[in-house]
Amino acid sequence: MSETVISIRDLSKSFGDHEVLRKIDIDVNAGEIICIVGSSGSGKSTLLRCINKLEKQTSGKILYHDKEVRDVQKEMNDYRSKVGMVFQSFNLFNNMTVLENCMLCTRKVLHLPKEEAFNRAITHLKDVGMAPYINAKPSQLSGGQKQRVAIARSLCMNPEVLLFDEPTSALDPEMVGEVLNVMKDLAKTGLTMIIVTHEMAFARDVSTRTIFMDSGYIAEDAAPSELFTNPKNPRTREFLSRYLAG
Amino acid sequence: MIFESPSNSFEWMVFLAQKYSSMFIKGTWLTLYIAVVGTLLGFVLGYIVGIVNDIKLNEGDNIVKKILIRIVKAIFTVYVEVFRDTPMIVQAMIVYFGIRQMGFENLTPVFAGIVVTVLNTGAYMGETVRAGIGSIELGQREGAWAMGMSPFKTMIYVVLPQAFKNIIPEMANTFLTNLKMTSVLNVIAVQELFMAAKTVGGNYYKYFDSYLVIAVIYFVLCFVFDKLFKLIEKKMQGKTDYALAIEYMDNQ
Repeated sequence: MSETVISIRDLSKSFGDHEVLRKIDIDVNAGEIICIVGSSGSGKSTLLRCINKLEKQTSGKILYHDKEVRDVQKEMNDYRSKVGMVFQSFNLFNNMTVLENCMLCTRKVLHLPKEEAFNRAITHLKDVGMAPYINAKPSQLSGGQKQRVAIARSLCMNPEVLLFDEPTSALDPEMVGEVLNVMKDLAKTGLTMIIVTHEMAFARDVSTRTIFMDSGYIAEDAAPSELFTNPKNPRTREFLSRYLAG
Repeated sequence: MIFESPSNSFEWMVFLAQKYSSMFIKGTWLTLYIAVVGTLLGFVLGYIVGIVNDIKLNEGDNIVKKILIRIVKAIFTVYVEVFRDTPMIVQAMIVYFGIRQMGFENLTPVFAGIVVTVLNTGAYMGETVRAGIGSIELGQREGAWAMGMSPFKTMIYVVLPQAFKNIIPEMANTFLTNLKMTSVLNVIAVQELFMAAKTVGGNYYKYFDSYLVIAVIYFVLCFVFDKLFKLIEKKMQGKTDYALAIEYMDNQ
């Protein structure tokens, strides 16, 4: 069995009285591509944000290589430099060009020499087909282009795990395709990925494991071949019914 | 002299401006000096206040850091409140006489004037910077945090450059305000423009004409600086187009 990279232990999260996550336990193994699906408000995005420590859990732990990531800035920074995140709203730095976006953190966090940071940026921008746009500002790009740059930016850090928070939800159907293609290529490289998505076909075809979440619980955690053809949980069946019928 | 024996207000203005040109020029320089130095240092102070107020503590941070930051924040909060809620003319008196009473007898009025301007500007800028930081959507920071960048570096490289651009008009406003507010420093005997006009006006009992002279000077100064800031603002907008890097285009 491959090595466990991230372990989520007994993780709960409440916003006031509202319980968003209830006792979540997940082990993420190296090389896995986990898709998290479920209806809006089921806690998928919050879970992903908790994994990246952007949201503070109410109770429970996140372990990285069996070591707890505590709520200490230094520990969180080190951990995040290994566990990247791609956002629904891209979050490219508006004050910088595409190239600067891809070089900022390799320079200021990893302290790479300029040349190496540049080469990495170009390599990954080529991977996503955005290298010709190095001089553009985010505001000059389309949504799909922005998201591809955001993916390249995360890859520049050489992350061990990459988290995707509904990366295609803010895009029109044509752009969804270009971003999903980039992610499919990434999946082939062996990078560990956790993807929150509403793209059922993508989850079925690309993931090695699919998690269905329902009102803060993990309702079902199975291989996509299993979950999409023969869901055990009635809630999963209900959620997927439209998709399965079609 | 153009008008040896002035007969109307305009002639008096020219007469006074000529006769006491060195006083007006010295006053103008001092006004500019206090406004520029006071505003620049005030901006620095304001940025520090704004940035410190934005620091968020983590549960796991060490206790010394937690206490230190809480204390500094409390001091800044009191400082901002006090200086925003009292008139600058009163602040000038209190700072000047206060520091002298503490034993610094050779405190110059100009130095006290700069201190008052800095403290006053810092208090307002602290609020402006806070609002400027708040105007940058959280996602910008999360993008940097998610790659392991510390909150401080994120502030320096991602948030402040964007916030700075947004608050340039407010910074220009503050400078123009300071340029005019230096006039209240005449109460602690700073020889700036207002003081010059008061002195000159007294010599001939021609206050109206004397103040008209400095009104023109203040107006011209503010007008020129305003245009200058507009130019900077425009420059900061940057280019709206970009060049494709053809060396990285696919050969198709």
